[in-house]
Amino acid sequence: MATLSLSINGRSVTAEVEPRTHLADFLRGDQHLTGTHLGCEQGVCGACTVLIDGKPQRSCLTFAIDCDGADVRSIEGFDNDPLMNELRAAFTKYHALQCGFCTPGMLASARDIVSRLGEVSEERIRLELSGNICRCTGYVGIVEAIRSVSLGKPPAMTAVVANARPLKRVSEETVVRTAEPMPRAQAGISKAEGSSLEERIVINAPVDQVWDALSDLRRVAPCVPGAEITEIEGETVKGRVRIALGPIKPSFGGEAHVTMDPAKREGRMSGRGRDSGTGSSAEGEASWRVIEGDAGQSVVIVALSWRLTGMLSQFNRSGIVQDMVHRLASTFAANLEAMLKGEASPPASPQGLNPLRLIWSVIIKRLFGWS
Amino acid sequence: MKPAAFDYVRARSVSEATDLLAKKEGDAKILAGGQSLTPMLNLRLARSSLLIDIKRAEGLRSLEADGSIVAIGAGWTHAEIEDGAVEDPTRGLMRHVARGIAYRAVRNRGTIGGSLAHADPAADWVSTMAVLGATLVCEGTGGKRRRVAADGFLQGAFLTQLAADEVLVAIEVPRLSAQARWGYYKVCRKAGEFAHALGAVIHDPAKNICRIVVGATDGPPKLLPRTAAALAADRMAEALDGLDREIVAVLPEHEPAAQRLHATAVRRAIAAMSTTMDH
Repeated sequence: MATLSLSINGRSVTAEVEPRTHLADFLRGDQHLTGTHLGCEQGVCGACTVLIDGKPQRSCLTFAIDCDGADVRSIEGFDNDPLMNELRAAFTKYHALQCGFCTPGMLASARDIVSRLGEVSEERIRLELSGNICRCTGYVGIVEAIRSVSLGKPPAMTAVVANARPLKRVSEETVVRTAEPMPRAQAGISKAEGSSLEERIVINAPVDQVWDALSDLRRVAPCVPGAEITEIEGETVKGRVRIALGPIKPSFGGEAHVTMDPAKREGRMSGRGRDSGTGSSAEGEASWRVIEGDAGQSVVIVALSWRLTGMLSQFNRSGIVQDMVHRLASTFAANLEAMLKGEASPPASPQGLNPLRLIWSVIIKRLFGWS
Repeated sequence: MKPAAFDYVRARSVSEATDLLAKKEGDAKILAGGQSLTPMLNLRLARSSLLIDIKRAEGLRSLEADGSIVAIGAGWTHAEIEDGAVEDPTRGLMRHVARGIAYRAVRNRGTIGGSLAHADPAADWVSTMAVLGATLVCEGTGGKRRRVAADGFLQGAFLTQLAADEVLVAIEVPRLSAQARWGYYKVCRKAGEFAHALGAVIHDPAKNICRIVVGATDGPPKLLPRTAAALAADRMAEALDGLDREIVAVLPEHEPAAQRLHATAVRRAIAAMSTTMDH
């Protein structure tokens, strides 16, 4: 708990809050100011919009503790505000609300639009209001109400340009330049479609040697930071995979069924895993095959498909996982080669994201989930 | 929809923040405006044992300029850039870009440095700073500063060149000349959402600069030097003709539909060059 002092609707308030409490919950739960509504809690719907230090902001994307010393104005704080009175009257006149859930946020944004821009076109109102969602779809009335109030009003004074101090040039310091952020897999040909992907990785080692390594889970697993095999029983593998994508760091625990066909140098795995942190589950299939490449090289063909449920699937931006898998494949190739030659693995890349552990998680197929 | 518990520290200086980052060894997150991080925390996609709030840290709202560069402190908000509270050295490009980021309520809190450090491939500043040839100033423990070219700052989605103990403190934006023209186009299905494809172009003959970037690629933004060279030589037909091929060359793993979408974004950015001056 931490102590918080701020002004709410002109009243000084001091309270104890948990750092994770966002401003909307603090207003509603602690201060009983329930006019602030929570729709999506991810900044999209706009229902929780309040004024912080005079500017409309998302109270669901603002931690209460971060408002220490701030001046917060929620919908309850506008009873004697002339502009808000005009807007309220116009909302009534133009039937600008049905269920009323979005209205507190709509009014906070509407007041900002009129006071900042003055008389404003319908097109600009619609653009400015795009961050406030009305599920009754009463936009026509809302836009007309705002337009009617804006008529004849002047825009706010233009912003004062901040003074810049003379730039202190650092003595010819080198700028770090990267032509290509990460090397691509050599001759990496890959196909990607939605939640499936095929990646070809060229390895500078003979086919038998590569297959030996890939078919021995116990041999590969120790080289893979983040992946941990806890149990191998017959064809069933149990374990855990930790991955990192910026601030998102799920850890999938689960089990998979593995079959190997040494004659064809082919492996298959199907499994499922769960990350309790994000409450997400992933399941999928993977297959890998080692074939002869040019000049004593081997080519590993990995095919993956995955399904994801839970929170991570709400964040589904499938291209991002595919890009990452491609990126990691290159480093996986390098690391696998190093392992086969008995060399140490290259150091992990910045931000603790080690491509090998990611590609391994791909191979053992719980990664798939996360996209 | 509530974040997992975390500790919160309000850093008074960048050195306090970098020391804490170093001490927590990757288990702490920097909180600037929090407009990208907080949704991830609320959804519990991200968890962090410690948030280091740098909003009020000394120096992050600095503004320094000379004849060729404006260095913008990482803590300025998108709305302040939109409103012109920060001098725009790019003949209106930065103000135009700022106005198109999410929604005003988000722009009032979200910061330019936070957006770059968060490194969502679809974020506007990532591509804008790449096309401008800006330089990002990163500070680590002991006040050690590194300057990183913006066009190579992203290594992948949410992955940058920032070391575990580094904070992005300023963005050095080169001044465009009075003859410079720019175009910027992003493909969105709804105003304010993250772009599905993005094109940005700058042509400044006086400074011998012609750069084109294709962004929102799910990975780092890509420069299109061939198309840019044709554009600089005033061979517009050749530039547009070769664009599709260059997009395929820089985004070989994208599906054809995505390649087309990105080519369209760049084509529209080029077409917008003559009309989008000085907003």
